[in-house]
Amino acid sequence: MPPANFLGTVGRRPGPVRGALATGVLAAAMLAGPSPALAQKVRITNLSDVDFGTIANLQADSRRSQSICLYSNGTAGGYSVLASGSGSGSAFSLANGPNQLAYDVEWSGQSGQSSGTALSPNVALTGQTSSATHQFCNSGPPASASLIVVLRGSQLAQARQGSYSGTLTLLIAAE
Amino acid sequence: MVNRAAGTLLAGAFAALLLAEPAAASTQGSFGATSTGSVTINASVPGRVRISGLSDVTFSNADPSATASNAQNVCVWSNTSTRGYTVTATGSGASNAFTLASGALPVVPYTVQWAQTSGQASGASLLAGTALGGQTSGAINSDCSAGPSSSASLVVSVASSALQGMTAGVTYNGTLTLVVAPE
Repeated sequence: MPPANFLGTVGRRPGPVRGALATGVLAAAMLAGPSPALAQKVRITNLSDVDFGTIANLQADSRRSQSICLYSNGTAGGYSVLASGSGSGSAFSLANGPNQLAYDVEWSGQSGQSSGTALSPNVALTGQTSSATHQFCNSGPPASASLIVVLRGSQLAQARQGSYSGTLTLLIAAE
Repeated sequence: MVNRAAGTLLAGAFAALLLAEPAAASTQGSFGATSTGSVTINASVPGRVRISGLSDVTFSNADPSATASNAQNVCVWSNTSTRGYTVTATGSGASNAFTLASGALPVVPYTVQWAQTSGQASGASLLAGTALGGQTSGAINSDCSAGPSSSASLVVSVASSALQGMTAGVTYNGTLTLVVAPE
C-alpha cells in the first residue's frame, strides 16, 4: 500500500517514484473492484423571471423566450423536463384573484429559440440532449436550452383587466 | 466626527442599495439526479372594450303617420372588473347632431337609444357627444363568438313629425358613430 503522503512524495521526487505511483494506482483499483458508473446528474440554471409587462394587443399571441443553462452528465447529455404551473392541478395559468389567465410552455433543447415543443403540465418531455460542458455553462456554450412562455390571443381576448402572476416550476431529470 | 459621519453615510447608502435591489423570484437548480428551477411569470392586461355586430339601418317606404324605429342587437365586450363601459354616440350632422341629409333639403333628425342588454326595442336616450356611463356587458369574449351572441341593443328612430318633413322618393342618409370606453 502506498503511504498516505504518496502524491506529495511524487512531487518531490518524480523520477524514482514513477514506478511506485503506477503500483499504487493498480493496488487501489484492485482493492476497489470494478469502477462504479458515474452518477448521472443534471442542473438547470440561468433562469429568469418572465415579465410580459402590459400587453397592448389582446388579439395576438405574446411570447417570451429565454436561453438557459441545462447541463447533464448523462449519456449523450440526455435529460427529461417536466413542467408544472401554479394553477389548479399544476395547470399553466396565471392568477389575478379569482381570475385566471392560461398560458402555454414550450421547450427547445437548443438556446436562442423562440419556439419549441409544447409541454403539458406534469408530463415529462423526454429525449432531450444538452450541449453544455459545464454545469453553470461557465465554459463551452453559455446556454443550452430555451424556455418559451406564450400567452395566447384567444386567452387574452377573454381576460379580465388586471395584473396576473404565477409560478412555473421545471424539474429536470437525467436520462 | 467627520469620519463617523462619513461612515454613517456610507452605511446608509449601502442599506439603500440593498433595499433597492429587486427581489429575484426565479430559483436555480442544484446539481443532482434531478434539478428543479422555477420562474415567476407576470402579465398585466389593460382595460379594453370592443363593439361589433353593427348593421346599417335602412328605413324603406317609412309611413309618415307613425314613428319609424329600428332596433338591432350588437356585441359590446368589456374586460374591466365590472364589465363596465360607457357609450358615446355622434351623428354626421352639424355639431355631431343625429340628422339625415339629402343634398340641400332640410336635414331630418333622428333619435338614438341604447340598452345594455340585447333584444330591447327601447333604451336610454343618447345625446350627441355625451357619454352614457354605468353600462355593463354580458359578453364573455370580444366578438361574442362564445357565450351570448350579443350584449346590447341599439335603437334608431325617426319620429313621425320628422318623417312628415321629408320629401317622398328621396334618399336621406347619415352616419352614426359609437365610441365605447372601459369603465
